[in-house]
Amino acid sequence: METTTDQRHLRTMHPRLRELLFTTRRFLKNPLSVIGLSLVVIFGIIALLAPVLEPPKYPDPYRIPHTGFRIQPSPPSAEHPLGTMQQQYDMLYGLVWGARSAFRIGVVVVVANLLIGIVLGLLAGYFGGALDEVIMRVTDIFFAIPFLVMAMALVVAIGRGLKAVIAVLIILGWPSYTRVLRSDILVTRNKDFIMAARASGASHIRIMFTHVLPNAMYSVLILASLNIGNTILTAAALSFLGLGSETGTADWGQIVSLCRNWIVGTPTDRFAYWYVVFIPGFVIALFVLGWNLMGDAVRDIFDPRMRRR
Amino acid sequence: MSLFSYIVRRLLLMVLVLVGVSLVVFAMMMLLPPGQRVAIYVNSDRITPAMMDAMIAKYHLNDPAPMQYARWITNIFRGEFGYSITASAPVLDGFKRFFPVSLELVLVAAPLIILTGVLLGSLGAVRKDTPVDHFTRVLAIVGFSLPTFWLGLLLLMVFYGFAGIFPPSQLSNDVRNIVFGGNFHRYTTLVTLDGILNWKWPVVWDSVYRMILPSLNLTILNSALIMRLMRSSMLESLGQDYMMTARAKGADRRTLIRRHARRNALLPVVTISGITFAQLMSEMVITETIFDRKGIGWWMAQAALQLDVSAIMFDVLFLGTVYVVVNLLVDLIYAWVDPRVRLS
Amino acid sequence: MEPHAESPVPAGGAGTLALTRDLFTNFYTFEGVVRALNGVSIVVNRGETYGLVGESGCGKSVTVRSLMRIVQQPGRIDSGKIVLFLNAANRSRGMEIVERTEAYMQSIRGSDISMIFQEPGAALNPVMSVLDQVGESYRFHRMEQMIDETLERLEKDRAGMAGADPRRALRRVQAVFLRAEREGHRRYAARVKVIDDELYELEERQDAEARDRKHALDHARDRTHPRGGSSVVARRVPFLRRYRRPLDATIRAHVVELLRSLGIPNPENVAQRYPHELSGGMQQRIVIAMALACHPTLLVADEPTSNLDVTIQAQIVELIKDLKRTAISSVLFITHDLGLVAEVCDRVTVMYAGDVSETAPVKELFRKPLHPYSQGLLASVPKVQQVDELSMIPGAVPNLIRPPQGCRFHPRCPRRMDICEREKPATVEHEPGHWVACHLYPASTRSAS
Repeated sequence: METTTDQRHLRTMHPRLRELLFTTRRFLKNPLSVIGLSLVVIFGIIALLAPVLEPPKYPDPYRIPHTGFRIQPSPPSAEHPLGTMQQQYDMLYGLVWGARSAFRIGVVVVVANLLIGIVLGLLAGYFGGALDEVIMRVTDIFFAIPFLVMAMALVVAIGRGLKAVIAVLIILGWPSYTRVLRSDILVTRNKDFIMAARASGASHIRIMFTHVLPNAMYSVLILASLNIGNTILTAAALSFLGLGSETGTADWGQIVSLCRNWIVGTPTDRFAYWYVVFIPGFVIALFVLGWNLMGDAVRDIFDPRMRRR
Repeated sequence: MSLFSYIVRRLLLMVLVLVGVSLVVFAMMMLLPPGQRVAIYVNSDRITPAMMDAMIAKYHLNDPAPMQYARWITNIFRGEFGYSITASAPVLDGFKRFFPVSLELVLVAAPLIILTGVLLGSLGAVRKDTPVDHFTRVLAIVGFSLPTFWLGLLLLMVFYGFAGIFPPSQLSNDVRNIVFGGNFHRYTTLVTLDGILNWKWPVVWDSVYRMILPSLNLTILNSALIMRLMRSSMLESLGQDYMMTARAKGADRRTLIRRHARRNALLPVVTISGITFAQLMSEMVITETIFDRKGIGWWMAQAALQLDVSAIMFDVLFLGTVYVVVNLLVDLIYAWVDPRVRLS
Repeated sequence: MEPHAESPVPAGGAGTLALTRDLFTNFYTFEGVVRALNGVSIVVNRGETYGLVGESGCGKSVTVRSLMRIVQQPGRIDSGKIVLFLNAANRSRGMEIVERTEAYMQSIRGSDISMIFQEPGAALNPVMSVLDQVGESYRFHRMEQMIDETLERLEKDRAGMAGADPRRALRRVQAVFLRAEREGHRRYAARVKVIDDELYELEERQDAEARDRKHALDHARDRTHPRGGSSVVARRVPFLRRYRRPLDATIRAHVVELLRSLGIPNPENVAQRYPHELSGGMQQRIVIAMALACHPTLLVADEPTSNLDVTIQAQIVELIKDLKRTAISSVLFITHDLGLVAEVCDRVTVMYAGDVSETAPVKELFRKPLHPYSQGLLASVPKVQQVDELSMIPGAVPNLIRPPQGCRFHPRCPRRMDICEREKPATVEHEPGHWVACHLYPASTRSAS
């Protein structure tokens, strides 16, 4: 039984704060979400500490140092804790700085997507009418072409490289946020308290930002948390296909693409180069898994049917 | 509103979207300089710089955009898509060569994906909160998080690299000789079916054999979404009042699950099949690259690397059209299957 | 039937149809254990309309769902007895059903006891037609009879056709498969009867040997299924399934007849429809049809009219009264509307927060309510000639995870005593046929029971 002081304290807290507390507590109770959070945090720390863990050897820290030119990868050793890829690029360095790169890509793309998506979603959902129609048709077009294919085409048109990949992902990513936010707004817009606000003379902008948006935000936030993983996967896929950064850059997809040739191993030892195939992909998988677990847990928490107060 | 007017409306919408897609593709094309854009008007690979200049002038590639767009669209309707470097042939010919390969894999993988997703999701829902449920849920999340290329490479490494089975590429060289030799009639252009129709079983076996690993790859990655949707849809179905009514009538467990819960739960899955299809096509690019199957996806990847403009634009246009049509079909199927939509 | 040592409740007499004795049903939820039923004992007799009255959440639905053993997860019947006295023809004793297998319950549900629900729209499966859903009742419980009729019809058809008519051959093939299926059902019924008879015999005995034997029988019951020989395969092969067409036709005929008898106009048409195409009143009639298809002995109506408008309400109530006269033996009517109780029921039980407060014939209850809760309820119904304030019972329904100790009504009772907080009151028969559980009426004042 909680003490009455606790209950009183809860009652006097701002409702949003209380909700945050409630959400955090539920989040931490779920073992999967805790695992997800830990994974992301670990990667975050690695990314932050990249300059410390693996000091850069070139002016551009994202160039992986290579000690030699031998084609075959070499297994993990004292000098190269995770082995090297072909042409003796150090795996560990690549992965550590790759984490940094991944965060960069993921965060930039998703935040940009959120901003664009929210603005357009608000406009479409709140004002409706012709504006809504136009925006919806535009998103229809974006949804009509498979994401990766479109991304590839756009990268060809714009030019390759990491910056191009980020730009492409931003350009192609916002429609889903707009759609989701719009449908949430359509639901919220008709609620009585909005009409009450209008009746009391509040301006559109005020209503949008103080009433409509906070109530419709949940789905978009869930989408964002789930999408970070997806974005990284697509960026890695583009790099893997050779459309992202150049060879030798610390980018996870890049690394996997370098390792493609080594699945067969030598005639004597079929698994000779397993580390080169397994490790980078595994790292990507862990990273994406972390975000997905978190996003999943967040979605479970915010599912209105499962919320208990 | 009757089903008929619904269809008409959707068709009109589809046309609108396709026009939009063509605009987008065109816009992307215009980002490139005329030197590269001329590829769509070219039909062979013997082009000198002088010829290129002549063609640029001839096709008014420096004209204002709307005129170029009109010209381009007319060409499309005439079936002229230009020349593809990566295919070493006109685009349409390349398409005829590459498409059946992808189609085969899609036809094999898609039912597998849907079936796996539905069965495992349903299982998880019925045995909620048991180890089986947790296992399938974790499987779904992990499957969703794996990078396509990594899983493919791993599978190849384990099965082919290590055990020597399930080699990549669509057909072995011997079989290839049979297929492209004299006696083989391409009725359907799908190698497996043709093998059956020609009664050449080595062809069939080889083709199927080499599709196992890519299908496995695609299934693991794509059934996750369906699994999760099916699970939550099934849970919702199981909690409905009509389940209680059926129980009160004396229904046994199997009837309850199969006839009452599952039928209702499958409805949302129909819708998501369309999305899965789109995802499949994206996955094709990578899967075909890894498993060395020369299909549309592989072609697209090569085209992107080598800046084969005509091939890329064609692919995007084609895939966009397919996706829109598939979605329309899916929506129609849904409208037919759900009596609430059909009869309202 | 020996009265239970703990609480002397109305014991089953010759006319008893079903009874529960000290039923405890709990729900094991995230927030804690919801003690929904706190030792509920009710008795339903043959030929009567028995009402179960109380506020929302008092346990009326849980009681009847326990009776039919369709309590939803995470609920469980934790202790108590439920005894059913069905098939009175050759049985004078009842069958205890708390421990019976699911298979046994499935054979009873829909066939001997049926239930109709509160929201007809939600109670009907939206993707199945009316014909499918009502027909299911026949398929579950009256398969043999349906096949018999179908075979008869097939024979007649064949007799009426010329010798060389190819349709004769078709009918013969169909008859073969149907006969196989019927055989399966017959053997199943025979096996089940043997098991059930023995269970019934063992019912009285409480010793260990009997318990083990009952256990074994329950297992065997669970494992039996109707098998139909060749029809099993045929049923699954899409093309061969056509042998079932005549059977479907028979069932359809029955369904249409049933709908017609319930006053549904144009029943052939309605049978083809889907639930969402029908009005609320019509939907409720379909639900009633599903419940009545197999002529149950007991019909349980869980607030069947609460979600309908008043005019439809009246129609449905009339319908139920009609059916009670013609088709069903007893009705267990759950409601929170005292007016309905007065109109429809013969006897009534008042429940509060999982406790049975009072049981009496309807007129008795209205004339002289004994339990303070019943008094409060009756007083709070506005009367025509009322001029002063509406009276109400102060306080709110308690949280059943941490229910009040002793008598669950004591926090709101105007005549609360010290003992009420400590001890749960025993149920006494204060006057013949009038039972009440309240410390105001201690055991010593009960009349001979």
